This record gives sequence, C-alpha cells and structure tokens, in this order.
Amino acid sequence: MESFVVRYRNLLVLLVLLVAQILGLAMQVRHVNSGQGDGQGVRLIRLWANGIVTPPEKVLHNTGSGVSWIWNNYFYLRHVREQNADLQKTLDRLRLEQAALLEDAKQGQRLQALLNFQQKYIYKTLPAEVIGTSGSEQSRVFTINKGKKDGIDRDMAVITPDGIVGKVRDVFGHTAQVLAINDQTSGAGVIMESTRIRGILRGNGQGRPEIVDVISDQRIKQGDKVLTAGGDQIFPRGLPVGVVDKVVNDPERDGFVDVILQSAAHLDQLDEVLVITATEPRFAPEQQQDIATSEALKGAEAQKQKTSEGMAEKLPGLVDPNLPADQQPLNDTSNPNPVSRPPVAIHPDRFTPANVTPPAGATPTSGQAAPKKPETSKPAQGNPAPQGDKQ
Amino acid sequence: MSVLSADARREFEIHRYPALIYALVPVLAVVLQAWLPRVMGRFAWFDLPLVITVFFALSRRNPIQGSILGGVLGIFEDALTGHAIGINGIAKTLVGYLAATVGILVNVENHAVRLIMTFVLSLVGSVTYFFVVRFLLGMSMDTNWMAELYKAIGNSVIALVLFPVLDRAKIRD
Repeated sequence: MESFVVRYRNLLVLLVLLVAQILGLAMQVRHVNSGQGDGQGVRLIRLWANGIVTPPEKVLHNTGSGVSWIWNNYFYLRHVREQNADLQKTLDRLRLEQAALLEDAKQGQRLQALLNFQQKYIYKTLPAEVIGTSGSEQSRVFTINKGKKDGIDRDMAVITPDGIVGKVRDVFGHTAQVLAINDQTSGAGVIMESTRIRGILRGNGQGRPEIVDVISDQRIKQGDKVLTAGGDQIFPRGLPVGVVDKVVNDPERDGFVDVILQSAAHLDQLDEVLVITATEPRFAPEQQQDIATSEALKGAEAQKQKTSEGMAEKLPGLVDPNLPADQQPLNDTSNPNPVSRPPVAIHPDRFTPANVTPPAGATPTSGQAAPKKPETSKPAQGNPAPQGDKQ
Repeated sequence: MSVLSADARREFEIHRYPALIYALVPVLAVVLQAWLPRVMGRFAWFDLPLVITVFFALSRRNPIQGSILGGVLGIFEDALTGHAIGINGIAKTLVGYLAATVGILVNVENHAVRLIMTFVLSLVGSVTYFFVVRFLLGMSMDTNWMAELYKAIGNSVIALVLFPVLDRAKIRD
C-alpha cells in the first residue's frame, strides 16, 4: 500500500487537487442557485486576491497617470484655444436645446404625476478611475479605485458620458469590481428607440454587447439607437447603450435573432467612469442650476424658435421640403385639384399678397420651405423626455 | 569517473531559485495580467500566470509543485474575474502537472522545446477551461477559439523572451 502511494503520489496529489476544486465549484453553484451569492469562503478569497493585486495596480496606474498628466498639462497644449472656442459654441447650442426641451420635460413630469408614475433621474454620481481588469478574455470585469468607503454599493450602475458601462459586482474597502455590459454573465433591460422593441442585453464570446432572444423583425435596422429600458432597477431609463451593428439569426432557436450592438461607451478603453450612487424623482441641484442658467440665457430665443416651429406645423405648406421641385404641390400636374396660383394684380399695392411681409417664422405661407426642426440630441442622461410608455 | 543514476541526474538538473523569485514572480505575473489589458485593450493576447506556471514546472520538474503552483495562480485569477473560483484553478493545475511531467522526459533547456510546450499547454489550458465551464458548470458560454489561438502564440513568444531572463536568477551550485 505504501509503495502504491509513493509510486503514484504525483497522480494522487493531482487527483486530490482536482477533486477539491470541483467540489468547491459545486458548492459555489449551489450557493448562487439558491440566490445567496458568493459564500463567505469565496468572498474571502476574492478579498485577499484583491488586496494583493490592487496596491501594485494603483501604483502602476498612478505612475502612468502622473506621466500622462505632465505630458498633457505642460507639453501638449496645442490647439487648446481652438478647442475652447469649439466647446463654447457647443455649450451655447446645448443651452439653447436644453431651454427648448425644458417645457416638454415639465409637461412630461405633470403627465407622469397624473399617471402616478415617477421617472427616476440621476441625482448623484461619483467619478472613478479604472485601475485594472480581470485579465481574462472570458471575463469582462474591471476594477475601479472607489469602494465601500466612498459610498459605492453592489448593483450600482456605472456609466460614461457616452453611454452605460456596467454595474458594480463586488465592493471592497477602497476598490470595487464592475461587471461590464459585454460580459457573458451580465444583463440589462434595453429598448430600441425607433421600434420600441425590448430585450435583454448581454455580452457574447467576442466581447461585444448583444440583445438576445429577440423575435425576428424586419424593422430592426443597422444604426438604430438602443437605450436602457429602466425595468432592471439598475440603469435609469433612457441612457444610451449603443447602436445596432448587425442582426444575426439565433443558432439555437428558429424565428429569433441576436442583435449585435456597437456600444456607445468605449468599453475597451475605459479610463474614467461615473458610478450612479443615487437616483431620485427630481433633478439634482446642479442640474436645476444648469437648467435655470439655460432658461435665463436662451429661454427667449428657444421660445421664439418653438413658436415658429409650432406655426410651421399648423399652417398649410405649399412647398414640401422632402419633394423635388417638379413634384411640389404647386407644380404637380397629376393632381386633379391643383392648387391655384393667386391671380396677378393689375395694379399692385401694399395689400397685394406678394408684397405683404410675412410674420417672422411663418415662412411656409409665403411659399418657402418649412423651417427644419433643430437636430436635438437626446436629453441629458437620466433626464430623458417622456416617451409615453410606462416601465 | 563517477556515473550518475537517473534519479541523481534528475536531481542535478532541477533548477533552484532564490525564495524572493518564487514569491515575487507569480504575484507580479498576476498583477501585470490584471493591469496590462487596461493598457493594451483587446490585444492582450497572453496569460502570464500560465507562462509562469509552465516555467517553474519545467524548471523544478516536480509535478506536485507544478500542480500546486498552477492551482494557486488559477484560483487567484478566478478571484479577480468574478466567475466561480476553480475554473482557471483546475485548468492550471492540469497544466502545471503536465509541464512538470513532460519536463522530466525532455531537455527543457532547448528553446524550441520550451516554445512548443508553452504553445501546446496554453491550448490544453483553454480546452480544459471551456470543458469545465460547459460540462461541469453547464454554462452557455460562447467560445472565441481564434482568440485562444492568438493567446497561445502570445504565451509562446513571451516564454521565449522570459525564460532565459528568469534562468539568469537560478542558483548555481
């Protein structure tokens, strides 16, 4: 017996190690299936691993950040003036758009109150820096430099100004692990902006986010915007997720497709993220201040623009901007009831239609194209315009 | 002239390193594995803990030590991924055992042998990983085999550069 153990000790040790780990896996699966999450032992291992890996990671990250800061703030200041001017113009435009959207938002809030439904707005966010990753292709988890002591908790949404990133999975003292939306075990409720098709977002083997189990629908087109649906109790409604890149048939189920997305946030190159630490059914003080500034600075201009848009929609147009010149209502010969041109005055005076100066903004009646509706971006994150569908 | 027995020759060929190397190199491998993908994005086609497991298993030529080192590094990696702990552990335990077992049989000083072994063992590690995920855990996980192939190539290239560097630290009698 002793010689057997001595002879096969290598193999026996291997078997013991493998069996121990398989049993450990079985126990973890049982824990997870019973909805208890990680057990104490597993959590302890994660804590130790994090405690050993995080300090050197922080040192590496801070060293890299320091070098980058010196470069960006002392050596690489070309084009800053031009960029500043561009940003000022953008800010100006956004202020105008915000002021224009304010009335709609207020009306939406009143309607929501009537429906006894309250939209959650992003009330408080905490900026954090990404300091490390899981180091595995199969796991899209990354570490941020903020933890429990900074007010981070499990299942908080993590976003960037471009779009959603993931949710907090594990929280430690000064760090936290975030599960990205392109991980295969992640899940988020999303909705396609134009078709209002809902689905579950998760990652695929290539590390790309996809909406799974969607019934095949011809209306889903490349470039369609995808937003958070808000039903998962993690991400507030209306945050950008990405755009449709391609639609592929579900290999396991006929009649279903997987919609692969181009994520709005740059998931492969994340440096800084925002953790949503609080959502409330009202705007944050900073947002309220920003709205007030926009209203004060651009309110009158936005109101004027809005009035002109309203008039343009209500008044009949003789010129359709979407039709070529030969098919305009005035020139359409196929129309059995053509629009009659006003007779030409023999003795024109100041009351002759052609000489009347049209009111500002009422251009369609004077035979010009209806003013184009301004290209407004979606409202700020967590501040989506109401879209009529309840969660 | 003294003639060495097979066991004595094996004992003679076992490489020994300072304790600091045993402690520092595996930790550094795990730290860099977690940090470098942040810098390199999706082009981080390597698995440094696996390369280190193969290196020490080949150098020590002890399957028990190889298995234990592989298991510990794998569990360490699992702890950072958020997945169940033991998936990488099982894969790397097997890799450490196989590397040490083969290391007894072949001349591990040869660079070509090291290159081929690292490549093959990387693929063995990937296959074991997906076996555990698919069949032991029953998880539906897509597999990107091209990425695994690139990773095996990346590991081989790193091994080609890293092994001679680490060899310099070995204790000479």
